[in-house]
Amino acid sequence: MTETIVFSNIVKILFVFVLGTAALVITRRTLSSLFTIYSIQSWFIAIIAMILYLNNHAVTLLLIALLTVASKAIVIPAVLRRIQFSMNIKRDLEFRYLTPIGSLLVSAVLVFLVYRLFSQYLLTISGDSLLLFGAVIGISLTLMGMLVIFTRRKIITKILGYLTMENGVLLFSLFIAELPFIVEVLIVIDLIMLIVLAAILAFGIDSTVEVFHEKLNSFTNWFRDE
Amino acid sequence: MDLILFAYIAAGVLILSLMGRSLPEASGRNSFLNTLTIIHSAIYLIISTVILVFVPSGTFYFNRYLFVDSLVTYEIVIASAIFLLSACYARGYVRSLLEAGEIKARELRLFYIAFNLLLLTVIFAFLCNNLALFWILLELTTILSAVLIVTLNAKENILAALKYVFTASTAMLFSIIGLIVLFAVTSRAAGSGTLNWDVLMREANILPPQLFTLSFIFIFIGFAAKAGIVPFHMWLPQAHAKAPSVISVLLSAVLLNIGAYGILRMYAVAHKTTSSHIISIVLIVFGILSIAVAALSMLPRGNVKKLIAFSSIEHMGLIMVGIGIGTPVAIFWVLFHTLAHALVKTQLFFSAGILHQQYGSNQFDEMKNALTLQPLASWGLITGSIAIIGVPLFPVFLSKLNILTQLAGYSLPALLIVLVLFLVVAGAFAAILIRTFTQKSESKYRTYRTSASMTIPMLVLFAAILLLGVYFPDGLHRILDNIVDGLGF
Repeated sequence: MTETIVFSNIVKILFVFVLGTAALVITRRTLSSLFTIYSIQSWFIAIIAMILYLNNHAVTLLLIALLTVASKAIVIPAVLRRIQFSMNIKRDLEFRYLTPIGSLLVSAVLVFLVYRLFSQYLLTISGDSLLLFGAVIGISLTLMGMLVIFTRRKIITKILGYLTMENGVLLFSLFIAELPFIVEVLIVIDLIMLIVLAAILAFGIDSTVEVFHEKLNSFTNWFRDE
Repeated sequence: MDLILFAYIAAGVLILSLMGRSLPEASGRNSFLNTLTIIHSAIYLIISTVILVFVPSGTFYFNRYLFVDSLVTYEIVIASAIFLLSACYARGYVRSLLEAGEIKARELRLFYIAFNLLLLTVIFAFLCNNLALFWILLELTTILSAVLIVTLNAKENILAALKYVFTASTAMLFSIIGLIVLFAVTSRAAGSGTLNWDVLMREANILPPQLFTLSFIFIFIGFAAKAGIVPFHMWLPQAHAKAPSVISVLLSAVLLNIGAYGILRMYAVAHKTTSSHIISIVLIVFGILSIAVAALSMLPRGNVKKLIAFSSIEHMGLIMVGIGIGTPVAIFWVLFHTLAHALVKTQLFFSAGILHQQYGSNQFDEMKNALTLQPLASWGLITGSIAIIGVPLFPVFLSKLNILTQLAGYSLPALLIVLVLFLVVAGAFAAILIRTFTQKSESKYRTYRTSASMTIPMLVLFAAILLLGVYFPDGLHRILDNIVDGLGF
């Protein structure tokens, strides 16, 4: 009994850490620290998956933990750093619609709304408070990632927002371990992101969608020579 | 059956990727790869026709992950027919792109591999019995079609493709949340969780309505993005306009259908729960919103492909409205509309492709003396436009009329709004067509010679559209009746 309580408390503490990393993703401006935060966030999620695996021994959870470490904590951050290195940009200072503080306030409201909405529904699926907590944090993380996509202008930061969203979905899915194809789904998402990142690397898209048109003219020769 | 399928698919992809490298000359390589693609699509058309005729509805394969029912066969016959027509058209079209330098010789292989893989993925997406598997294949169609958009050697294409992948994938993440909720709901209600269509259909009546509605809305976001429903349509106009015309056809006439198909399936499940009423309202609201945004965006268009792209949004909106009404008659005509829309859209984009080759532009203002220079494409565009706005004697008329009649029974104000919006659409098409085909120029143009591989698919489409407008085959009637029955409406 005490073991279960300890276990669920550890997981809850990790949830709070995950939420903290999401808040940092929203507010940080330096790209390299954004990548590090993302990597740490993925580590947290992998650890949560591992703890859940130790608790109920579902192989899917182990697979998810390994996959998360391999792709999201190691490979994708490495690719992101490589892109940053080749593009020579250090900071993403451009925000639209919302300032970082505004985004934080909005995400606090979002977490609250998600909690209100889901607590009445999800309790009917399972009375487990840990599941409810995980689901709420997962969906909040997804929405906070979407906030990053909307408020940042550089594609590389938008991608970080997308990856945060994916982590949120992953967190949400962890609590229903026997979900079919979830590992395949995660692999497909990671592959797509890697392809997109590869495309960005290959075509040198370092600026925002809006400014890209003007900038591209200087790339013309680069395209022809290839 | 399925083993044969797999063996041949693996072999086909292998051959495609390995060969063609040995042919150094670009046009020879194009012909070779294209011939393989045509054969590939033709085999699919034959297989789907065989399935349509011989395989009984409700056959399962691969541990019940794949299945065949009348709706699946109907969709795969349409998809493979459109793919075959596009493959033929691509022969001449891609050659012109090569000559114009718009596509590089070394990208031909990538183009055809992505084309064939897209065909494969689309067919399997329709055959999926499992929602999670369907989701995966849907994501793969996004990435493959994005690759096809990028093969055109223009920089805006990269942006259009990125926007497409981003919008669609972001929305699809919400679908995954919906799927997880749905799985949890079924495991709670029925003892064991499932995402299989057939089990969902069977157990729909015991699902708790509120939670099901919640999961439906999440799933809807992703599928709606794939179907180009407002407000998740942001990717669509740009992607359709920038893609090579033959790919615009696939995006509009095949890929949008998969999203709509997913929504139709989900609605069929919803129809058996007590939450069907609220879900109907959601679908109809989003449908009318799509029609409205598309209609109002069409008026100021100067780009022929953007105009056709917005028309796709409008028609997907109509399909949503039809699904939302949810009567057997409405579903029947929604299915017919899927076919009619696919045929007419193919015709329109084929014509736009030829006109683009002639003028090197998609702008209406550039298209001077079009009727004398490119009579076939011009008439294709004219009849296509007349057909797509739903003029009598064309197939879209039948489905539009019947869906609208059903809408009248549902809500009169909604009908009036939609009618006014359709008037705006018709006005936009008429204004643009009259302006385009009456402008004359003294300057001499070099006539672009349309190859037979491009004219034949267009003539086939002409015949099909004209025939379907005045003659409703009994066989088709039976098939559509079966589907409506099978979906439980």
